Amino acid sequence: MEFTSPSNYRNPLDLLRRFVSTPLRTRFRFGRIAVLVDTNDFSLLPTLPLDSASEDFDTFAFKWKLVRDSDVFGHLQEPLVLLTGELTIVGMGPACLLGLDRQRRELFGFVGAEVDTKAFQEFLVPFLCRLSTEATEANRREIIEGIKKDAVDA
Amino acid sequence: MSIIEEASLHSETPKPSHFRGLGHLVFVLLESKSFLTFDLLRRNVFGVISPAAAKDSYFWNVQLLPITLGLLGATVGVSPLHCACLDRNGSGLMIAGDAGAGKSTLTAALAKRGFTVVSDDWTYVSHRPGKLTAHGMYAPIKLLPDSIRYFPELRRSAPKKTLNGEIAYEVSAAKVFHSPVKACSAPKWLLFLERTSVPGCHFVPCRPGHATQYFENNAEKLPAELPGAAEARSETIRQISMCQSWILRTGDDPLRTAQAIDDFLPEA
Repeated sequence: MEFTSPSNYRNPLDLLRRFVSTPLRTRFRFGRIAVLVDTNDFSLLPTLPLDSASEDFDTFAFKWKLVRDSDVFGHLQEPLVLLTGELTIVGMGPACLLGLDRQRRELFGFVGAEVDTKAFQEFLVPFLCRLSTEATEANRREIIEGIKKDAVDA
Repeated sequence: MSIIEEASLHSETPKPSHFRGLGHLVFVLLESKSFLTFDLLRRNVFGVISPAAAKDSYFWNVQLLPITLGLLGATVGVSPLHCACLDRNGSGLMIAGDAGAGKSTLTAALAKRGFTVVSDDWTYVSHRPGKLTAHGMYAPIKLLPDSIRYFPELRRSAPKKTLNGEIAYEVSAAKVFHSPVKACSAPKWLLFLERTSVPGCHFVPCRPGHATQYFENNAEKLPAELPGAAEARSETIRQISMCQSWILRTGDDPLRTAQAIDDFLPEA
């Protein structure tokens, strides 16, 4: 398998590093949420139980894309959280930038070089799980309200 | 666009600006300790900025608005192209060239000759059937410190660190070169600037397809979430490539090169 380290990723037509390849993939589950993770770094694979059966009707599927940003140094700063209708954005300085699209059930994140495995597994993964759970709950409420409205309209 | 001023954000310890994007989201941390997110799918911008940034016209005019147009332009049919645009009597001259070719010094030299400045580094091109328009943002011209040898006017300014970390003069064409400026022009001519060691200026007509290939090869890759944007940009590039175009090979200094261009271009 060929790995693209973002530390040597230099594409003048991709200054935002949108197209860093993320060839590593895993699936895991917490509660009723199944998560598919794509990343470019083994250390960004959450050490949570693998999801072996996520075909349940009641499962909410999320996709996380996590990129190790090896050119960015520094530690996590106090989170700055922005909420809009569909998005939750979290900035912890350049070392961690996260964007969760609740409607599309996608989470994107850049994690800096000095965010170590312990900080990632013990702080960031639970944080991402919490964001995903909150998004799912918000979605469920919207769906239920939509069903109720349809019933009233009918 | 929803921007919140947050008093707890201080800008005493500026850090380099930082841009990252994944999927349809783009994150921007600016030196002024501002944090912005661009949602390309929903065409939204939101973020928090420091009180210092909120009060700073440079932040709005030179950073936030051009960045917004650069990132969201493709989603609304405006294609950011890496080239300068000047105007002579209502006809637009676009100047493209690789990094270091001298586009900005040539823009300044043309401004001194009375060309109207529309844009220096980035030009935002839109098209409707039969009408192609090049837009600028009244952004300053960015000149490297050594350009002072051609422009003594720069002695009244001081170079400073720019958005991409370079040390450069950022000057208003109107104030420093007393050049007219305008917001838009109708592109008529394209010049692809190349530096050579041979003195003189040589205008070589471009072969068919040169301009299209140049702009396509230098366009930023767009995410899969915006399938129509790349197509729209290609159409804009195709339209702009229909302008009269030349490769300008110059071994002369920017002032002489500007004079050669002035003499060469037909009267509109």
